[in-house]
Amino acid sequence: MDTLVARYSRPTYQQNEVFSEQDQQDFTDVVPPLSLKFAMPPVAHPSAWLRAATDDRSNPSCPIKIAHGTTTLAFRFQGGIIVATDSRATAGNWIASQTVKKVIEINSDLLGTMAGGAADCQYWLAWLGMQCRLHELRHKRRISVAAASKILANLVYQYKGMGLSMGTMCAGVTKEEGPALYYIDSDGTRLAGDLFCVGSGQTFAYGVLDAEYRWDLTTEEALELGSRSILAATHRDAYSGGFINLYHVKESGWEKHGFTDTNPVFWKTKLEKGEFSNVTSNFAE
Amino acid sequence: MPEVLLGITGKDFTLIAASKAAMRGATILKAADDKTRQLNKHTLMAFSGEAGDTVQFAEYIQANAQLYSMRNETDLSPSALAHFVRGELASSLRSRKPYNVNLLLGGVDPITHQPSLYWLDYLASLAPVPYAAHGYAQYYCLSLLDKHHQPDITLERGMELLTLCADELKRRLPIDFKGLIVKAVTKDGIKEMPFDNDKVVKGT
Amino acid sequence: MASGYDRALSGTCAVGVKGSDVVVLGCEKRSAMKLQDTRITPSKIGLIDTHVCLAFAGLNADARILVDKARLEAQSHRLNLEDPVTIEYITKYVAGVQQRYTQSGGVRPFGISTLIVGFDKGNDQPRLYQTEPSGIYSAWKANAIGRSSKTVREFLERNYKEDMDREATVRLAIKSLLEVVQTGAKNIEIAIMAPGKPVEMLPVEDIESYVKNIEQEKQEEAAKKKTGRTPGTGSAAILTRSAQDEPGDH
Repeated sequence: MDTLVARYSRPTYQQNEVFSEQDQQDFTDVVPPLSLKFAMPPVAHPSAWLRAATDDRSNPSCPIKIAHGTTTLAFRFQGGIIVATDSRATAGNWIASQTVKKVIEINSDLLGTMAGGAADCQYWLAWLGMQCRLHELRHKRRISVAAASKILANLVYQYKGMGLSMGTMCAGVTKEEGPALYYIDSDGTRLAGDLFCVGSGQTFAYGVLDAEYRWDLTTEEALELGSRSILAATHRDAYSGGFINLYHVKESGWEKHGFTDTNPVFWKTKLEKGEFSNVTSNFAE
Repeated sequence: MPEVLLGITGKDFTLIAASKAAMRGATILKAADDKTRQLNKHTLMAFSGEAGDTVQFAEYIQANAQLYSMRNETDLSPSALAHFVRGELASSLRSRKPYNVNLLLGGVDPITHQPSLYWLDYLASLAPVPYAAHGYAQYYCLSLLDKHHQPDITLERGMELLTLCADELKRRLPIDFKGLIVKAVTKDGIKEMPFDNDKVVKGT
Repeated sequence: MASGYDRALSGTCAVGVKGSDVVVLGCEKRSAMKLQDTRITPSKIGLIDTHVCLAFAGLNADARILVDKARLEAQSHRLNLEDPVTIEYITKYVAGVQQRYTQSGGVRPFGISTLIVGFDKGNDQPRLYQTEPSGIYSAWKANAIGRSSKTVREFLERNYKEDMDREATVRLAIKSLLEVVQTGAKNIEIAIMAPGKPVEMLPVEDIESYVKNIEQEKQEEAAKKKTGRTPGTGSAAILTRSAQDEPGDH
């Protein structure tokens, strides 16, 4: 009965079709679909299995500890976009590295930031770079930041609930959009905005950044504010630290503004400006 | 749940309001988020629920509504769209990964100019209603609307009712939802309405 | 079995002409039977998206499927890239589908040629592309497809001017169609696209006035020729109407 109904509930031109849906798809799809097919662990519920193996909050002795803990920020202003991150990778309480590059250069004009699982971010942003290049070749023009961020958001949404962990920002400047900034996370959220901070240190960075953020910041002021906000987060958040990685994105592409050790910057800020007064520098007493 | 969705119908319009805050954990990521999508010239849908699911589902519906308009050179009526959306939610509910989305769908019939409002939730319930709310807003606003709403109110009166609701939410809801984005559907199409979100309402 | 090309070549004629800031599609309507309801018989000009228009020559039924696939792709592109398709992209897609149906076993090629016109988002440059059953696609300033397209194309080659305004573009499209359409205005369909505006189907009355105007001009020209002609140098007829192809073909 169901098949009988199904036969008549389909548009007439699809009736008595010799070719399966998949064949139809293959005839019609000029470009292959964007997602990849991964091998899954041979267990009944791969995502539950992954959670059991990696979730150190519910199981401190879990066999795999995923690198989490970060501060990343990006904001739009009159002169483009500032992107800044710390450089610490932690796995549980262990500092796995102090020299991680959390700004991922997707291509010469697009930047991505990395928070959450380091491998997830690195892999999918590299993959995004590939998709952007393919788009460029197929469409004979640069991909918009909106489209690039949406490719990533749709991808992570396909893997929703399967253990991906990423909070990333896509920043780029194009002629059509101007400076464009998007927040994408592994829930599948994608938001356009002026200012985002992501990671365990986000609240500390927001505190400093929100207070002094203006659209008409000069480039120097904006770079300083980005750097100072990361410093604030590295000071208060145990899972953030290392170096300040600073970028400025303009229409001509992005520009790197150093990978600076936080320690001297901290002491310079404290001693020259008198900030961080809770930290004593008077060791004699 | 902290998201506010409100809908009011009147004589010749449907008003839809949605809170502007996009929250993740304890952070407001965006204070000017638009939780509505236009399905065709005179149908608007507002959504709340699980992050990711909401926008994915709304844009999927939007694309299908527009595809229908292109294929048939005519728009689906709000009622037809509401039933289509309900069907999609129902089949999603019985799939491996259901969409966790609650919706308000409002519009004005392109031919009869009759305004309508539909309340849908993630369990694929569908109810045509004169006014509606989702989330915590239900607990504060429905009683207000029960008292003050009449079926033949004007757009101005509709906006007054929304202000009444927004004031109460500001007074009693413990979370700052960053004000409302308000859109009016009339026979001439959909337009965003100016709404005073800066008004301070003191609790007692 | 006739090849896709035969079918595509024998459908009723369609023309596309680019002006400076408009692009016009013109179609010869198949002459209707006495009892056919012409008002609601499907048109040979279809919308792919609000900014893309397609006209075809060949098998109606094949075109319906191809147009549907293109519409789906246009919406899918909007959904995934947050931008409407460019005219070149959708042309490439249509041509890609046509190509695939020449390559797979057990399928029959699409027996249609198409003209795809429109404007890219945020761009005032008119676009006009053609696709063929083989999957070839190409860009044009003005072109014709379908029955007697050679005659019409040659006419366009002789009469096309750069930077025509709306009026001149529509006129050229109609004039070129009149080369092969016998019954005049009621068998012509015209679609006009301008940047950022929905497609405009020209009302029959307007087409009629264009046709009248053109016929009148032709008569005047002929009259002028007659009076100015020195005896003995008879010129060939200007109106080269192609042989009336198989009637009832569609």
